[in-house]
Amino acid sequence: MELNVNGTSYTLDVPAEERLLWTLRDRLGLTGTKFGCGIGICGACTVHINGAAVRSCLMPLAAVVGAEILTIEGLAETDGSGTITLHPVQQAFIDHQVPQCGWCMSGQIMQAASFLAQNPQPSEEETVRAMSGNYCRCGCYVRIRQAVQEAAGMAGEEEAT
Amino acid sequence: MTQERDHTEQAGPPAGALNESDEVRGAEGADAAPAKKRRWRLSRRGFLIGLGAAGASLAVGAYFGRPVLHEIMAENLAEAEHAGSSFMQLPADPPLWLEVLEDSRIRLSLTKVEMGQGVHTSIAQIAAEELGINWGDLVVEQADTSSNLVDSFGTGGSFSVASSYGPLRRAAAGMRSLLKREAAAVLEQPEVSLRVEGRGFAVADSPEKRADFHSLAAAITDWGLPEEEQLQLKQADEFAVIGQSVARIDIPDKVTGQAVYGYDMRVPNMLYGAVARPPTLEAKLLSASPGEAAEMEGIVKFVIDVESGFAGVVANSRSAAWSAVKAMETEWDEGHLWQQEEIDALIEPEGEGGITIQSEGNATGVLGKETTITATFRSPFAVQAPLEAPAALADVQEGQVNVWVSTQSHERAKGLIAEALGVDADTVRVVPTYLGGGFGSKLDTGAAIEAARLSSAAGAPVHVGWDRTEAMLHGYLRPPTKSILHGAVDGAGRIIAMEHRQGSSDVAFSFMPDFMELVMGADFGATIGARINYDVPNRTVTAWRKTLPVWTGWWRGLGLFANTFAVESFVDELAVAAGADPLQFRLDHLPDSAAGERMRTVLEAVATLSGWGTAPPAGRARGVACFASNTVVAQVAEVSVDAASGEIRVHDVACAVDCGLVVNPDGAKAQIEGNVMWGVGSTLIEQAYVKDGRLELNNFESYPLLTMREAPDVRSVLVDTGIKTPYGMGEPPIGPVGAAVANAFTAATGRRIRTLPMTPERVLEALAGGET
Repeated sequence: MELNVNGTSYTLDVPAEERLLWTLRDRLGLTGTKFGCGIGICGACTVHINGAAVRSCLMPLAAVVGAEILTIEGLAETDGSGTITLHPVQQAFIDHQVPQCGWCMSGQIMQAASFLAQNPQPSEEETVRAMSGNYCRCGCYVRIRQAVQEAAGMAGEEEAT
Repeated sequence: MTQERDHTEQAGPPAGALNESDEVRGAEGADAAPAKKRRWRLSRRGFLIGLGAAGASLAVGAYFGRPVLHEIMAENLAEAEHAGSSFMQLPADPPLWLEVLEDSRIRLSLTKVEMGQGVHTSIAQIAAEELGINWGDLVVEQADTSSNLVDSFGTGGSFSVASSYGPLRRAAAGMRSLLKREAAAVLEQPEVSLRVEGRGFAVADSPEKRADFHSLAAAITDWGLPEEEQLQLKQADEFAVIGQSVARIDIPDKVTGQAVYGYDMRVPNMLYGAVARPPTLEAKLLSASPGEAAEMEGIVKFVIDVESGFAGVVANSRSAAWSAVKAMETEWDEGHLWQQEEIDALIEPEGEGGITIQSEGNATGVLGKETTITATFRSPFAVQAPLEAPAALADVQEGQVNVWVSTQSHERAKGLIAEALGVDADTVRVVPTYLGGGFGSKLDTGAAIEAARLSSAAGAPVHVGWDRTEAMLHGYLRPPTKSILHGAVDGAGRIIAMEHRQGSSDVAFSFMPDFMELVMGADFGATIGARINYDVPNRTVTAWRKTLPVWTGWWRGLGLFANTFAVESFVDELAVAAGADPLQFRLDHLPDSAAGERMRTVLEAVATLSGWGTAPPAGRARGVACFASNTVVAQVAEVSVDAASGEIRVHDVACAVDCGLVVNPDGAKAQIEGNVMWGVGSTLIEQAYVKDGRLELNNFESYPLLTMREAPDVRSVLVDTGIKTPYGMGEPPIGPVGAAVANAFTAATGRRIRTLPMTPERVLEALAGGET
């Protein structure tokens, strides 16, 4: 079975029904994508499949063969000299000091990056709707909202509290 | 600033360990690497100083003994007034140290774990301040149990910064003093002419004359530390790092997926484990066999020990392990099939065994004569639900056990793993990773013990990661509570008597030896927040410790959320009875004391921040609540109520906090924000209950969490009342949330809800005039 993850092609001998999350984490060592619930509720396992944010804990491998899979490890751009440029969402999450424990943050960032790619100038209401499927148990919601708005080039109305 | 990482590491032997006579011995075992030899001395003032033999390395550890910790515990837990010398096992060795590295950077090793509360950064700020070095020249390292840094307390109770502050400042100032004295000798200059330049000391007016920290450390022969009173600790107005919103050192790795948690730990050739779970609260394993799982692919080993109730499997993939354990044949004695009504009946605050934790005047006598207002408040079971489920990787070899785990207490894990394996604790090394949330739940060591048992049986490293349902069902919960309050207000609108009868099951006592009840009486974890902090001449608080068939324990803020909900809702009821403005009513009942003045400052600050006294936006109403321990918190919630759907929307929470000296203001505000979200979730949504002998929990579909859609705006202000040391910040702001929302609901509707959570069903019932 051949998988394209973060621009790299992997040939794997894995059951076709294995969920993408566990292939990424346990076979490819890409542990940046997190397990939260396993039933698609919490969003910690969010990755991009051909640009769309999906829950990797529900995604059988057979369904993503031939697709472009992007995980948090591949979101930042690395140029020829090895210089890393963070994705604007990643940068905004640092600027707003968003993460606390950080476990949900890969999923939050992947969700936000996909959302902003489709809707580059969202209203705050649209941002809240797009991000309300991702749990953050530490309760970083105020900062997540502000950071996503800022990443969209629309600084939140309030300063970071 | 750099954070040292511990990823995909090869299981290795421990470094040398310090024994009681302060001499170093090497790691035992045939394949032990050369131990780091270090000689230690205990200085007059209780500092431990070590000099490495292999290469020069000066280390200073702060002796962090009983008096310091006791002082802090007594200060931070007003309820722990009965704390005796055996309160809990306190660290006798230094739990933090500083060491000069070969490149002249200084390394801070610390036992406190990072679970999102930002302690690695804030504790590093304290060290950097007194060392006087550049922030970038400090290296922060998570200590593991092989590091000699014994911290029996673990990470929790909002103690980390408060308890580290004094000892670490003194240790850092001591190290700076030693290095500076040596620099003066080497450079033949008076100390007063020296200052830190980069990674060394230089002469102020001729910076070419310099000596780096490492060469100084190598040259030191005089171990005399200055007397504590001669240590030149910085004054607050000299602080350049403490009090700054320094960017958190753990955040860059958390936005790039590089941070490593217990669930992420990997070593070559590791296998995956899973363990069969009891189907009911009282279930006992009668028999177990591989059953159909024996035929499944990828199985390496079944591990069955019926006597200890253990039936597990080791497989070559996580999904194989999870599938196999479900296919194993197990037979259980289910025990009594408990129902929630039986639990509710057990939690009554009455009968034998009530412990009076506060008593002034004669509340019972006054309340017997006066017109009395009575109200009963309830809170349900709740789950901590950190998004990273319990997880550990264990590599058990003959004579050496290595375990990597998301834990709030690696020392506790070490002892319990040794006990479970029947090995000497000195052979067990427990390495704490980042935690994907803790909130009290990760003092549990279940996953680590399971991984160790399975690894021992399989002869290979085994990772155990619980699934969400296991995490929901097999940890401990926040206990349900029932509070009955009585009060009387006189004609002048003053509270003349108040009584609080509080029932709960264990919080702290679940983790302490049985004799603690004799030493301490009430469970301080269950009763925190139950006291009446207002100036009431006749007041009594009595707590009942009830035993339930459900494991209960640590949860963010312990009993604080439920108790403050009860007491501060009731104070509002008394304000209504007195016809007073709720905020003014509180100000009018503050004690004439320093604590009362701090409460006044915080209440006035939140009044300003929230616009108390001005009209709220149309359709909204405000409620206030307050909590005072060492940290003082006041909040105003602004809510609206949809009378058709019964939904309460919390739009905004304004929060004023006096947590003493603030080390990192932005970090403190982040803790306020998180606590408010926790509080709103618990007020509106979260509950668990028992049905047919088991908790009616499965995954997030049966226990949804707050989402961004329901999240309020949070505005906060940190109030300085001149306190010179830091107090706890990770939990106190959760206290007032429930009462502030409940009081706002009453302001909006004229009705009151006294049972949490305030679900749409309860709201509709209340609006229809029902008793809630």
